[in-house]
Amino acid sequence: MRPGEGAMQARREILEWARQGRIAAGGLRRALELGGALPGADAWRAFLDRMFLFLGAALLGAGVIFFFAFNWDEIGRFGKFALAQAPIVAALAVLWKLDLDRPAARAALVAAALFAGALFALIGQTYQTGADTFELFAVWAAAILPWALVGRFAVLWIVWLALVNLAASLYFLTFPGVFGLLFSPQAMAWLLFGVNVAALAAWEAAATRLAWLRGRWAPRLIVLACGIPVTALAVAALFESSRTSAWALPAWLAWIGALYGVYRHVLKDLFMLAAGALSAIVVATTLLSRGLTFRDGGAFLLLGVAVIGLSAAAGYWLRQVAREIDA
Amino acid sequence: MSALTREALWERLRAASLVEGEAPAPDEQRSPWFVRLMLGFAGWMGALFLLLFVGIALAVVVRSAALSVAVGAGACFAATAIFRAARGDFASQFGFAVSLAGQGLIGFGLSQLLGARSLASAAALSAVVQAALFALVPNYGHRIWCAFTAAYAAALALANAGLQPFVPALVTGAFLAVWLREFERPERGELVRAAGYGLAAAALFAAVLQGGLWHGLMGLLGERASGPGRALGWAGAVASGAVLVAAVLALLRREGVPPGSRPGRFALGAAALLALISLKAPGLGPAVAILVVGYANGNRVLAGAGIAALIGYLSHYYYSLQATLLEKSALLAAAGIALLLLRLALHRWWPPKDAHA
Repeated sequence: MRPGEGAMQARREILEWARQGRIAAGGLRRALELGGALPGADAWRAFLDRMFLFLGAALLGAGVIFFFAFNWDEIGRFGKFALAQAPIVAALAVLWKLDLDRPAARAALVAAALFAGALFALIGQTYQTGADTFELFAVWAAAILPWALVGRFAVLWIVWLALVNLAASLYFLTFPGVFGLLFSPQAMAWLLFGVNVAALAAWEAAATRLAWLRGRWAPRLIVLACGIPVTALAVAALFESSRTSAWALPAWLAWIGALYGVYRHVLKDLFMLAAGALSAIVVATTLLSRGLTFRDGGAFLLLGVAVIGLSAAAGYWLRQVAREIDA
Repeated sequence: MSALTREALWERLRAASLVEGEAPAPDEQRSPWFVRLMLGFAGWMGALFLLLFVGIALAVVVRSAALSVAVGAGACFAATAIFRAARGDFASQFGFAVSLAGQGLIGFGLSQLLGARSLASAAALSAVVQAALFALVPNYGHRIWCAFTAAYAAALALANAGLQPFVPALVTGAFLAVWLREFERPERGELVRAAGYGLAAAALFAAVLQGGLWHGLMGLLGERASGPGRALGWAGAVASGAVLVAAVLALLRREGVPPGSRPGRFALGAAALLALISLKAPGLGPAVAILVVGYANGNRVLAGAGIAALIGYLSHYYYSLQATLLEKSALLAAAGIALLLLRLALHRWWPPKDAHA
């Protein structure tokens, strides 16, 4: 079991026993404490410590970014650059003093990564470099890559991946026609799918060796970032097969197959299977709708019942898998 | 949880004389939150198709507001009967979609009947309908949905009646009142948690995403989003802050921590600071409240929702029009520095046990 999940599971079990009346009257609170489901004094102290640190760093970082977005005319060019660089220097000074594994150092690293973005935005704003917005995010991502590499911190890698996704999306908004035949939103979906699948594979492979990558929230987010574009591609291919790539459906099938193979048999993560099931429901419903005529509304009734039936079957299957994983 | 850990947990409770006999068999019907969310989303899709069917095949229904309400009510009664009679997966998914479609028809009919004259009364009536469905339909996911929509409709009614500044405080207050009592009536725990998750979603929408989105919604409903008076606006902001401080006081009392003790002082200091920031950044207080209550109750899903609410609010705050970017930047930077100073104070006056290790 992963750390932290045990407490949540204990909480669920004890609450269920209490609902069944199996726990002595008035003893629920004590039972939850004994089961380690509720924080004690030390845990509360650590929680306040982390909350002050990360919320403080996030608010300060947001404050700096908002400031440069305001583009205040009354401060000269040099004053602005000093203001943009000072927080980076301060954050790096904290890093220099502290061990990288300390929470304060990690907060400083994330803050420095955010401040770097403000600095690049300021450079673009001041010198009118003619750079497109996507270049800002691409340069930003490239610049903080070394920090992400040494930081050993999952949050920073997700920030990095979000920047890469933003840069890729904005690139296609700037140059709609680059990939010739391909319709640009589809080219964008292909690129996002490719980038995020690569990230997911790298993440899961690295997590087998690196303990700091083992939290499940990050790969779960990445799976959503892969699943949404590839599902959209498959739906588009079913609706308009003439204007879409012939590879969309095979790619979607390969994605669902890989999701099933890896997360059903190797890593056993129910979240991924649930996401895959939803994608399959959407694609199957789209496929069904192709054979229907919508003149009298009866087709909608059929589609509604199909969605309900498919999702009920998915819910049943996921519960069976959950039982097997728990056992 | 593996069988062994489950048994070990039961043994530990038995040693403390909190339970007797053998551990009950595991509950096979339970699903993790994301499976429920996925099923809810699919149910919603199903309901949309059912509504389209009614709109096209039974167009006569939607042409009459009264008939919409009547057919909607019929669908809700049918769904209630389905939920009460059958327990299978298909039956509950079907009941969920039929009920949602029915609610959609009732909401549509009510807004046609009353909306033009009084949005507040249509919203208030919708809140009553959703609250009644919360009580009647014995399904966890359905109850979360009903609690959310009832609270949100009530918030809409209050806002339309000119009390918008108090909506965040009221929704967050209701959310806190429910979760702080989670352990008091364990036999009704499912009911309390369903209400709690629904209110968390309502707090998220009404308090965290207020401002631009809220005005957009009002605009969509054809209402002029007349800004509240200055005094009323401040009173509402103060109420939001007061709810946060009151929640921390209640939490300290529940945990048996005197407010004057060292932990009590830090908790209250932080609450007072966040209440102060919330005067100008009103979503911050409710988002932190969701995080803290989630942590206090050992509920990682709720705590995670609080973190998501914080990130969402900060992104949303950038676009909110109530202050210039310069003012917002100064406020956020000052708040960030104040929190970091509070952390320094924490290390100085309440050092961790392994500080010298």
